[in-house]
Amino acid sequence: MDFTLTDEQRMFQKMFADFAEKEVKPIGEHTDQQEEPPLEVLQKAAMQGFLGALFPEEQGGVGLDFVSYVVLLEELAKADVTTAMTISVHNGLAGKTILDFGSAEQHEKYLEPMAFGEMIGAFALTEPAAGSDAAALESTAVRDGGEYVLNGNKIWVSNGGIAGLFVVFAKTDPSAGARGISAFIVEKDTPGLKVGRREKTLGLRGLTITPLYMADCRVPAANLLGQEGKGFKIALRALDVARLSLSAVALGACQRAVDEGIAFSMEHIQFGGPIALKQVIQNFVADSAAEIEGLRWLVYHTAWLADQGEPFSREAATAKLLASEAAFRIANRMVQVHGGYGYMKEYAIERIYRDTRALPIIEGANEVLRFVIARDLYDRAGLKIKP
Amino acid sequence: MDFTFPKEYELFRRMVREFAENEVRPLAKKIDAEHRVPFETIKKAAKLGLMGVPFPRKYGGSGAGETGYCILMEELGKVCTSTATVIGAHTGIGAMAIYLDGTEEQKEKYLKPLASGEKIAAFALTEAQAGSDAAAIKTRAVRDGDYYVLNGSKCFITNGDIADIITVMAVTDPSLGARGGVTAFIVEKEFPGFSIGTLENKMGIRGSSTAELIFEDCPVPKENVLGQFGAGFITFMKTLDIGRASLGAACLGGAQAAMEAAMKWAKARTQFGVPLAQKQSVHFAIADMATEIEALRSLVYRTAWLIDTGQPHIKEAAMCKLYGSEVASRCINRALQIFGGMGYSREFWMERAFRDARIAEIFEGTNEIQRIVIASNLFRELGLRIAP
Amino acid sequence: MRIIVPIRQILDPRGFTVSRRHERIFVNREEYIINPNDKNALEVALRIKDTGGAEVIAVAVGKPRVDDALREAMALGADAAYLLTDEALAQTDAAGAAKALAKAIEKIGDFDLIITGQETLDTGDAQLGPWLAEYFGIAQVTNVREATVSDGALRAKRDWGTGYAEVEAAPPVLLTVAPGANKPRYPHGGRIMAAYREWEVTTWGAEALGLDAADLEPLTEGRGRTFPPERTLGERLTGSPQDVAADLVQQLRLQHVIK
Repeated sequence: MDFTLTDEQRMFQKMFADFAEKEVKPIGEHTDQQEEPPLEVLQKAAMQGFLGALFPEEQGGVGLDFVSYVVLLEELAKADVTTAMTISVHNGLAGKTILDFGSAEQHEKYLEPMAFGEMIGAFALTEPAAGSDAAALESTAVRDGGEYVLNGNKIWVSNGGIAGLFVVFAKTDPSAGARGISAFIVEKDTPGLKVGRREKTLGLRGLTITPLYMADCRVPAANLLGQEGKGFKIALRALDVARLSLSAVALGACQRAVDEGIAFSMEHIQFGGPIALKQVIQNFVADSAAEIEGLRWLVYHTAWLADQGEPFSREAATAKLLASEAAFRIANRMVQVHGGYGYMKEYAIERIYRDTRALPIIEGANEVLRFVIARDLYDRAGLKIKP
Repeated sequence: MDFTFPKEYELFRRMVREFAENEVRPLAKKIDAEHRVPFETIKKAAKLGLMGVPFPRKYGGSGAGETGYCILMEELGKVCTSTATVIGAHTGIGAMAIYLDGTEEQKEKYLKPLASGEKIAAFALTEAQAGSDAAAIKTRAVRDGDYYVLNGSKCFITNGDIADIITVMAVTDPSLGARGGVTAFIVEKEFPGFSIGTLENKMGIRGSSTAELIFEDCPVPKENVLGQFGAGFITFMKTLDIGRASLGAACLGGAQAAMEAAMKWAKARTQFGVPLAQKQSVHFAIADMATEIEALRSLVYRTAWLIDTGQPHIKEAAMCKLYGSEVASRCINRALQIFGGMGYSREFWMERAFRDARIAEIFEGTNEIQRIVIASNLFRELGLRIAP
Repeated sequence: MRIIVPIRQILDPRGFTVSRRHERIFVNREEYIINPNDKNALEVALRIKDTGGAEVIAVAVGKPRVDDALREAMALGADAAYLLTDEALAQTDAAGAAKALAKAIEKIGDFDLIITGQETLDTGDAQLGPWLAEYFGIAQVTNVREATVSDGALRAKRDWGTGYAEVEAAPPVLLTVAPGANKPRYPHGGRIMAAYREWEVTTWGAEALGLDAADLEPLTEGRGRTFPPERTLGERLTGSPQDVAADLVQQLRLQHVIK
């Protein structure tokens, strides 16, 4: 047992924190109010290697281990949840999936442009009739010579508005249920692919969430990711990484919320002194800090498991479940600490509150994660359960 | 004991519900997106006596008491919190202060146009450093002949920029503190020295306006002292008590609407081959919501009854606000979760309801203040005074 | 100007479902409302009152619960209300109710206009208007959408094929108002309170109207209910969106829905 970060990880942490504080924090308000993706910050992040965070150095990346990667997301989320989510989707859902399941040619073709920020990645799994229920996908991919012809609609594609490539899931064998799903790398300019109108959302307003329409969209057969019929496995693995990533984002959001609350409570005077002197405020802060401390080690431990090559599905689901709910709960409490000011857009906590409300919904609604966790536990005890 | 509503309230509720459905709901999304006050709704509401529901008919109100007013707030709370907020700040606190403590002349001059909805009221207590701690207000009123001259500023005043008549709290004797040193005044927007400062950009209730009010040597005639000189603290406490009960009612409406919407969605939405409504998690969420809503409904209307029958109600009104705002937030949050991504989208009203609901835990005294009010009332029964 | 508005109370259709399969009506919520078409009639009367002044009197016959419909009418703006109820009146049919209303209107005194809804939403009876006009021997204007009174003359606009016809008549006249002729107002909150707390509904039994049991004996007898034949679905258009749209336009033209 060793709970310290290595020297290298500590060095990274400092670098991430500096970047986040200097480059990301100042744009949070603008990104939210103008509903603009943080494109400039993405370019700066690319210069630092953060857009190839998980890629090996020879492919333009920095080859971070998962522990360092969750520290990166935590620091980014402390500065701005939207930016952290944008980078997380790019790295974890798109980049890591191509790295893990892609061919040497695919690596050659896509990893460098992704790492350099020339191609932002997105992940298109969810459909109108298949939200949490991935096996119910209706999109199809039919082999036609040297191409696959894709048809179907995707919704809630994060980064959809800025992506250069999409990891798309479709059924190559509609009769085979989950085993009929395959994954494809689809470039934005592929004929027949159309990115739809951006969703207007409660928070995460700089994250471009769009639908994706595919009408006889012809993708080169070389862009099949992994093998035909292995798409479901790829999706599950990608979601494990995404859930781990999201728990780190949530962790950073928790920390930022408490920091905002502490700062405000020391400045705001009521009943003759700063409200920080009130027991109820102290309790709010203490409860939040206690939750964060527990979460941090859960998140790091899950990342460590991933680094060890151990299974971490259930742990990632657990971390996402707890961290996403904690983030919203803590943001909510800290709005309360701010009183009327917390309801005003001038204060960062107002935005954090709206941003964190997405976390219990995205990358697997928490209700589904509860099922994933329970299924794993009952499985070990010898009982198969269904959703 | 009789827990049924008299028939006039049943008809009143039906009227208000139809009004809310047909006139208020169609505008709710628009006024939020455009960040504007729905004056057209206020005009229609005025014609139906809905801008003065609790006040007697002789002053141009509906004479429906706190019970009727809570019914109005509940039904508006179901469809548009912004509209409920505009009408609530006008009726429940702005005009209410004049009704509770005004002289007959003041009621004639000010309450009548307010109750009939010709004019709009606001209530100005909060200041930058005196929110929950109302005794810390700094706005000063100094006697000068037949006038009191007001200096200072107020913040977070709902309806502040659209109000014609504003009830303002100011310090008349700093040496006496809150008890004896604060006086309430009726200020008309045309009085010289009165101006509107910045307007707030808020998370929700964006169809209501929240303004800063500035008083620079603003002369207020001495006949506009509201209630006893030096007893402003009592006036605003009494007023806020009543406002809190009806705020609980608006929350009740919000919670009920969210639950009903979640049920409809769960019935229609299929996942894993069955409607969500067949999932036990959904059943339990709905059962919990329904139970809390039922408890809240009983609390709200019993408190309204206490007020209408002239019984003590401070503690209960604080409970309405505290419990109501938390039940509404909880129910809307759970409903949003049942809607999943659809709930997070601004296409659908749940997202707006979620932003709107959050203010109820904060304004008209934060929930922490409500807990202090409740606890201090309870400890007082044991003969102990507690400090906030 | 005195305007009599006979109104009827019906079960709120939003509170029940009709099951073809069970051949039954399931009442989920038993709530009664003013027959919507009568509300249209009351609205026509109240608009005449708003513009030129008038005394509007609402009259209804039925069970004691009809009191609520009359109080609502007062809340909406009626100046007085009469409820004709007792055991015999509660049991009578449309013809008996019309007889009772006629007697009550006579008892109330002179009138200029009788304005009522053309039909009821529940049983679809459209006989009250003609019945009363016949009884009093006065002119009737049916299918009215709007009516005004000026210089003692009544002008009414009525549906006429695809357009309107304007009719002028000298009171006393009976008007039946077309369903959905207008958007009835909401009652004022203060009038709602006063309708129950301050104002009275005058109640008369059959005896006070000079009617006996024989007069009110129902002329009709209900022998059961059947459902209309099930409607068959229309034609389903298939093809690409462009083709379907073109087909649809073509069909609408053929049926003269559009030109």
